[in-house]
Amino acid sequence: MSPSRRQFLKTSVNAAIGATALGAIGAPAIWSQTGVGGIPKRLIIIYLRGGSDPLNVIVPYGDDDYYSYRPTIAIPRPGATDLPDGVRPVLPLNRLFGLHPAMEPLHELYQQGMLAPIISVGSPHETRSHFDAQDFMERAAPGVRSIEEGWLNRYLTQTEKPSDHFLRAFSPQPLLPRSLRGRYSVLAAPGAGSGEALGAFEKLYRPKDVPTPPLVVDEEKKSKKKQEPTKPPVTRDQMNPMIHNAGVNTVEKLRHLNKILAQRDQTIRYPNGPLGRQLADIATVIKAGEPLEISAIDYGGWDHHSYENNQLSRMLAHLSESIAMFVRDLGPEKMKKTMIVTMTEFGRTVKENGSQGSDHGHGGFMLAVGGMIAGGKIYGKWSGLGPRSLYRDRDLPVHTDFRDVFAEVLGGLYEFDAKEKRFFPDYDKLGKPLGLFAKG
Amino acid sequence: MVPSCCRTVIPGSFAAILLCAAGWMILAQPVASQDPPAPGTPESVAPGDAPQLAPLTETQIDWHMRNRLSFGPRLGELPGDPSKWREWVESQLDPASIDDTECATQAALRYPSLFMPIGESYTAYWPKVPDDFEELTQELRDQFFAYRNERLQRLEMELRESVLYRAAHSKRQFQEVMVEFWRNHLNIDQNKGNCRYFVNDYEERVIRKHAFGHFEEMLIASAKHPAMLIYLDNDVSQKPLTEEELRQLELIRKKRLAEPNAMMGEFARNLERQSGLNENYARELMELHTLGVDNHYTQQDVFEVARTLTGWAHGWQGMPYESEYGFQFRDPVHDKDPKRILGTRLKKGGGEKEGVDTVRMLARHPGTADFLAWKLCRYLVNDEPEPALLARVAKVFRDTRGHLPSVYRAIILDPEFIHTRNYRAKFKSPFEYVVSAMRATDVTIDDPRTTLFMLHRMGQPLYQCADPTGYFDQTEAWLDPGVLVHRWDFALRLVSGRVEGVRMSPLVLESLGPLPSGARLEAIQKLALPDGLGEREREALAKAQSAPYLLGLVLGSPAFQQQ
Repeated sequence: MSPSRRQFLKTSVNAAIGATALGAIGAPAIWSQTGVGGIPKRLIIIYLRGGSDPLNVIVPYGDDDYYSYRPTIAIPRPGATDLPDGVRPVLPLNRLFGLHPAMEPLHELYQQGMLAPIISVGSPHETRSHFDAQDFMERAAPGVRSIEEGWLNRYLTQTEKPSDHFLRAFSPQPLLPRSLRGRYSVLAAPGAGSGEALGAFEKLYRPKDVPTPPLVVDEEKKSKKKQEPTKPPVTRDQMNPMIHNAGVNTVEKLRHLNKILAQRDQTIRYPNGPLGRQLADIATVIKAGEPLEISAIDYGGWDHHSYENNQLSRMLAHLSESIAMFVRDLGPEKMKKTMIVTMTEFGRTVKENGSQGSDHGHGGFMLAVGGMIAGGKIYGKWSGLGPRSLYRDRDLPVHTDFRDVFAEVLGGLYEFDAKEKRFFPDYDKLGKPLGLFAKG
Repeated sequence: MVPSCCRTVIPGSFAAILLCAAGWMILAQPVASQDPPAPGTPESVAPGDAPQLAPLTETQIDWHMRNRLSFGPRLGELPGDPSKWREWVESQLDPASIDDTECATQAALRYPSLFMPIGESYTAYWPKVPDDFEELTQELRDQFFAYRNERLQRLEMELRESVLYRAAHSKRQFQEVMVEFWRNHLNIDQNKGNCRYFVNDYEERVIRKHAFGHFEEMLIASAKHPAMLIYLDNDVSQKPLTEEELRQLELIRKKRLAEPNAMMGEFARNLERQSGLNENYARELMELHTLGVDNHYTQQDVFEVARTLTGWAHGWQGMPYESEYGFQFRDPVHDKDPKRILGTRLKKGGGEKEGVDTVRMLARHPGTADFLAWKLCRYLVNDEPEPALLARVAKVFRDTRGHLPSVYRAIILDPEFIHTRNYRAKFKSPFEYVVSAMRATDVTIDDPRTTLFMLHRMGQPLYQCADPTGYFDQTEAWLDPGVLVHRWDFALRLVSGRVEGVRMSPLVLESLGPLPSGARLEAIQKLALPDGLGEREREALAKAQSAPYLLGLVLGSPAFQQQ
C-alpha cells in the first residue's frame, strides 16, 4: 500500500552521482541532441481518478436495459427530440454505442480512425476502494502488495540504457502519478521552476559526501494474507541520499525543461483548465524534438455519486477538447508516433443511485488515441445488461484485463514483450491482444 | 521482553537514556501492561537497521520533540538547557495549560466566519437578495452580485488563511499538529458542492473542538456535519424505493414527458423528490475513517450502514425561520427495516439513534484502534512504525475508548518515540515545510494569500484535496524530483522579503549581520537545524556572502526538509 524506494537507494544514489559527474562536463548539451536512436514513440497516460462512469461515456444506447436502469441520468438516444434545454443526445459510434454529447472532438477523432474506445476493461480484483483499485492498476499488480514500483516506472527501469535522455519520462504535475513512481528517476514539474532557485541550490544538493546507506534487505515476502509485509522503519541515514538525489535531479532536469518550455508557442490556445495546460507542456517538449517517451497525468474528480451529468458534461468536454487540441498541435506526422491512453480505477453501478449519480462498480473503460492505432472501432467484449451478465448483480463485468491492454500497448509501441519479461507479478498467461495496432 | 543479560552489555552512554526512559514511564500514564523495550537495546532494533545506532543526546531529543510536536521551533524558543524538554512536552500535551490569547484574538479578528454559528456565517457571506431587487437598476444589481461573490471568496479564504496563520502563530503547537492530522483524516474539499458554506464551522466545531477529546465524539460530529454530509453525499441518501414506488414513479415520469406542464399532486411531488440510497459515505466511513480498507467489513456492510444513515440531512431550523442551520433527521426518508451490520442484527424501527449508535460502534471497534494507531504513529513517528509500538498504542486506544490525549501520550512518551531510528526520519509535507520555515524566521503573517498559492504549487492546496483519503503522509509521495524547486524558491523569497504579506522578524538578520561569515553559519544552524549539515554542505554554504542568502540556503537545504 505504501510503495517505498528504500531498497533502491543504492542504485539511485550511484546513478545520481554519475549524472552529476556528466553534468559537470557539459553533458546536457550532448544529451539534448536527439539523433541517437531516432525519436522514440511516445505514450501519454491520463488517469481519470474517481471511477469514471463507463455507461455515460461510451453509451450503449442500443440496449433498452440501459434506459430502464437509468431513468434520470441516461443520455438520450441519437435523434431524440423534445429534449429539455441543455440536454443533447448521444453521438453515435455504431448501432449499439455512442459517445457522451460533450465528446464531440473525440467523436471526430473516431471518425478519422484515431480513437479506439475499449469497453468492459478493468481489474479482476473486486475492491471498490478508490485508493486500492488505483494502486493495483498503477502498479499493474491487483491484490499483490510485494511489488512497489509503478508499471511505467518498471518499464523504464527494465529498458534503461546508459544513453537515456533527461526527459525520457516526465509528468507535468507536482506529485508523480503512482504509475511513474519507483527506481527510475522521473521529473515531476508543473511548468517551469525558478532559475534563481536552481542556481542557488545546485551545489548544496550534490551528494558526494553522503554515505551510501546500508542496503535494506528486500525480503520477498509473498504473503497471501491481507496484512502488508512489515518493513523496517525509514531512518535519517536512508532518507538523506533520497533528498540529495531528488535535488540533483531537480536542478539538472528542470534547467533543461525550463529552456524548452520557454519556447512554447503562445498562439496555440489549449482549453483553460489543468489538463489543457499539462498537455500543452507535453506538446511543447515533443515539438522541441526531445526524446520524451513516457508521460502521465492525473485528472481527478470523476467520483460522481450525485447529479453526475452536469459534472460529467463539463469534465468530458475538457478532456475531449484538450486531447483534440493536442492532436491538432502535434500534427499528423508526430501523432503517428504518439499514443494517449485514458484509464480509470473501476466503473460504476449500472443502475443509477438515489441521487442522480452512480456508486462504485467494477468493469470500466479506456480510450486510446493515436495515429498508429486501428481506431474508428470499439474494442472489448459486450455482454449486455441483462441480469445474468452483471457482475455481482450490479456492475459491468470485466471482460478484458487491464494488464492485457498494458502489454499490448508496450508491445505495439516498443516491441516490449511483457510475457517473456514476466512483467506482471502472478499473471503469466496474458489474454489475446485486442488488435489495437492491427492497422495496415 | 528485554532479557536482563542484554542490559549488562549496554555501553555506559546508554545508561542516561535508560534512566530517563525509566523516569519517564512514571510520568507517562500507563502505556502498556507488558514491559516495553528500552530504547537502543539490541532487541528493539529492526533487522535492516544494522549497524547499531547510538541513542539520541538530550539536545537531539529536544530538537526531535520540537520538530514532531510543533512545526519547528521559533527563533529564541529553544531553551539553553536541553534537558528542559520534558516540561515543554508536558505543557504541549495539555494545550489548555498554554496561554494562547494573542493568537486566538488575532484569529477571531481576522477570520470571524469560523466563530459564527453556521446560519449566521451563511447569511453574512452569502447575503440575501434584497427585497426590492426587482426595482433596482441593472447597474445596482450587478454591484450586488459582485459584492456577493466577493463575500463568498472571502469565506473560502478565511478558512485557508486561518489554517496557515494558526499553525505558524499558535503557542499550542501540538494542538495545531494534531488538528492538521485530523483535518486530513476526516478530509473535506472546499470545492465540492456547497461545502464551502459549511467547512469553516467544520474546522472549528468538529476538528478543533474534538482533537483533544474522544475519537467517537469527533466522528459523530463529522458524520452529522453539513460539510461532511455534502462532501460524501450522505445528505442525498434516502431509503431505497419499493417496487410499488418505483412503478408509480415511472408513471409520473411518463406523464411529465407527455405533458411537461401538467399539475401533479403532493404524493407525486414527494415521490419525485425522494431519491434512494447513496453508499459513498458509508463506504468511506469504514474504509478511511475507522476500520481501514476491507478490514472486518464487506460490501453488504457498506449497504447496511448506508441504510441506517438514510434521512441524515441538514437545513434551516428553529423559529423564526433561518435562525439556525444544522443537522436534520428526516424520518420519512429513513429506512426503518431491519438491518444487519458487522454481524449484529438491528430490529425494525430504525431511527436517528440507530445511526448514531452505528457510528459509535465503528469508532469503538477494535479494528479502528489498530487502524488509527497505525495512522497516528505513521504521522508522528515513522513512515513504517514498529509493530510493537502499534500494539501498545492500539491497546491504549481501546482501553481509553479512544481518549485522544491518552493515545497521543502513549505515542510521545513511548521509548520508541525517541529511538534513534526515528530521529529526523520524516520528510516534511509542503505544509509542514512552509510553516516550519516561517517559524524558524519568526515571521509575522499579515496576508497569507501568496504563501497559500505557493503551497498550491508544491502540491498541497489547503482544504482542497478532492480525494477523501486526504494528502499523503509518507516521504515517497512528496519527494519527486522537480517539485523541490518550489521549496527552494519559497526559502529564497522568504528571507529576502519577497513572499508578499509575510514579514521575517528583523531580529533574525540583526543577530546575524555583524557576525563573521563562519560564525554566521553556526548561528543559523542553531536557529534552524539540530546537527544536519555535512562537511561538504558547510563548504558549499561558506561561500554565501550575505546573511539572508545564507539563511535561505539553510532553509532550502536537505537537512531542513527532514523532521
